[in-house]
Amino acid sequence: MTNSNKPRTAEEINAEVIRKRRIQTIVRYVVLIIVGIFMVYPLVWMVGATFKDNNEIFAGLNILPMHPTLEGYRNAVKSYGGDINIWKALINTFTIVIPKVIFTVISATITAYGFGRFEFTGKKILYPIMISTLFLPQVVLNVPQYILYNKLGWVGSPLYLPLIVPSLFACDTYFIFMLVQFLHNVPRELEEAAKIDGCNVVQTLVQVIVPMLMPAIVSCALFQFMWSSNDFMGPLLYVNTPAKYPASYFVKLSMDSDAGFSWNRVLATSLISIMPSIIIFFAAQDQFVEGISAGGVKG
Amino acid sequence: MKNVKRFLSLGIAAAMTLSLAACGGSSSSSSSAPADASTAAATTDVGTIENDGNYDECTIKFSWWGGDSRHEATQQAVKAFMEKYPGITVEVNFGAWSDWEAARALEFQSGTAADVNQINQSWINEFDSDGSVFLDLNQVSAVLDLTQWSEDSLAQLKDVKGGIAGVPVAMTGRTLYWDKTTFDDAGIAVPTTLEELRAAGKTFQEKLGDEYYPLALGEFDRAIFMTFYLQAKYGKAIIEDGQLNMTEEELKDGLDFIMSLEADHVIPSIKTIDGDAAASLDQNPKFIDGRYAGILEWDSAPLKYKNALAEGREFVVGEELKNLGGNDKTGVFTKVSLGFAISTISQHPKEAAMLIEYLCNDPEGSAIMGSERGIPESKAGYEAVEAAGGIDETIAQAHDIVMAASEYNEDPIFESNDLKGSEGTYKYVFGGLSYGEFDSAEAAKELYDGMSAACGA
Repeated sequence: MTNSNKPRTAEEINAEVIRKRRIQTIVRYVVLIIVGIFMVYPLVWMVGATFKDNNEIFAGLNILPMHPTLEGYRNAVKSYGGDINIWKALINTFTIVIPKVIFTVISATITAYGFGRFEFTGKKILYPIMISTLFLPQVVLNVPQYILYNKLGWVGSPLYLPLIVPSLFACDTYFIFMLVQFLHNVPRELEEAAKIDGCNVVQTLVQVIVPMLMPAIVSCALFQFMWSSNDFMGPLLYVNTPAKYPASYFVKLSMDSDAGFSWNRVLATSLISIMPSIIIFFAAQDQFVEGISAGGVKG
Repeated sequence: MKNVKRFLSLGIAAAMTLSLAACGGSSSSSSSAPADASTAAATTDVGTIENDGNYDECTIKFSWWGGDSRHEATQQAVKAFMEKYPGITVEVNFGAWSDWEAARALEFQSGTAADVNQINQSWINEFDSDGSVFLDLNQVSAVLDLTQWSEDSLAQLKDVKGGIAGVPVAMTGRTLYWDKTTFDDAGIAVPTTLEELRAAGKTFQEKLGDEYYPLALGEFDRAIFMTFYLQAKYGKAIIEDGQLNMTEEELKDGLDFIMSLEADHVIPSIKTIDGDAAASLDQNPKFIDGRYAGILEWDSAPLKYKNALAEGREFVVGEELKNLGGNDKTGVFTKVSLGFAISTISQHPKEAAMLIEYLCNDPEGSAIMGSERGIPESKAGYEAVEAAGGIDETIAQAHDIVMAASEYNEDPIFESNDLKGSEGTYKYVFGGLSYGEFDSAEAAKELYDGMSAACGA
């Protein structure tokens, strides 16, 4: 859409393209930075707020505290009656989360392999039924599950049985769904080759499928890790001794709206308790992102 | 041993039921007492408990919700209890209020509840509607001294069978609190009558500016203040025996009263408060710096607001307004803030009762508990806590004012979720009225219908 008909040299066109690109890049970065600030601000604010007292927290949105105090952290590491403190709570969280993640990965992979690669009677019905449980909110399940676990004598179990055992049975439909989708992209020829080389079904799964599925499996593990560490309702229902409270429950212990409470303590405990998740996320970030995007390539 | 005892009690229960059946309908007046005893025997092992100074070595569970200081004090008290009665182990379970009720509801329904539970008054209606979840504490009165509570306060925790489902740990009601600094700035004293309050609205507007109000009331606060007004004016409780006791016209009068306060610049509109974008008044900058100079709050909750005020501002406990309804009544109602109850499924009701006795009445135990659950309602407990200096002066002052002014008992229905909840009637009616979405006649109809529905009519 130029007004002049004067022919332009290659250099001129080149220079303009480069200039346009540069402007585009600048605009892109400006937009990203502005959006980024909006997204990161609450997190950074939270870190700053752990050093503020209540008045200051409600007074403004500053990141830097005017009257910094370490009270929040000092209280955060205090124990409740000697039974539970934030470190113990974190250990409890891992006692729940680590077996849960391992069991989920194993059970979900096997189930996904079954649904993704084998034809069996009833598959056409069973698969949709399984997927439909995706839409079942946890709230609906609370009562029947509680009654079941109570009958089994698992409520208050020191081994966290009601929280861990279900993951042995591939209860997290979302992961199966994700793995099945991912599995569609894995060429069947690989398995056929494995079969020719004399692999049985289990060997094929372990030596061929699992390595191919790795990015998706890592995503499952990470999601499960985050969800289980943040789970509040589970521990509230099934854990009833202070020494066994996990971090998600511990963080909320002091939050009593009637008497009021120090937000800096709550925020400091939260910050300490999300540290492990953040570290793990960063450590596995590459595979995590790859897993999510690759899983969604083809429906 | 346990099994034999259990078998025996079951046998006795069966025998009693059989004998009752044999009696037929001839002796209906005498049948109710033994019937109660038989169900109790079937669920709890022991009928009425003797205080023989002995107790079983056992483990009992105790659950409560609250905040930090309550957790701490209660854990200490529990430890002291275990030292005093070696052999009894108390396992505790505690947490914050959020979702607590849902988790306990599951426990009550599936019979896994703790032996001793901290309860809300409304739980008796909700979870113990047939009187089978909480033990009638008369059965353990040999160990738990019920005479430390007034008949009136115990009556509020009666279950449908007439048994005492729990003991009231504390009673609570609402009173006014003022930011005296703002009133000083305006050159007037804090109000003690309705006229003074109305006058303060005008004075604030003229002397301090449009942003200054002597009182700030959210939707639920308005419902309570309106109730004070109605109860004072018409001389009857708003909900009596589980039934709405006001007519639609009377409710309209109450709503008009609230709107007249808004018109007189006594309270800010709901729109104004919503515009402050604060989750609650203690987090509202306008309250913190004194532009809202008054609140209507529970007698147990002033410290949260006192501590929230900006430095140098003076927070005072106000009187309940006299002559709200044009007479000398205050219309104030009070409720049981918390109770302790024993589950009928408890295998050790005697030891559970000993724990409650220790926490509420024992000089040592109640002193440790202090006023963490409000000012103790038990006489012995109150004396012990007062002697130990464990009562905050502001709370004590507010509590005395509320209890002295109290004329009615608050029915738990008044605070049922359908009315008080975030999607509840009060929010809709008082919010809509203040926003001008409908007039007071329509609002009165909505309120009347909503409250009638909550009362089960």
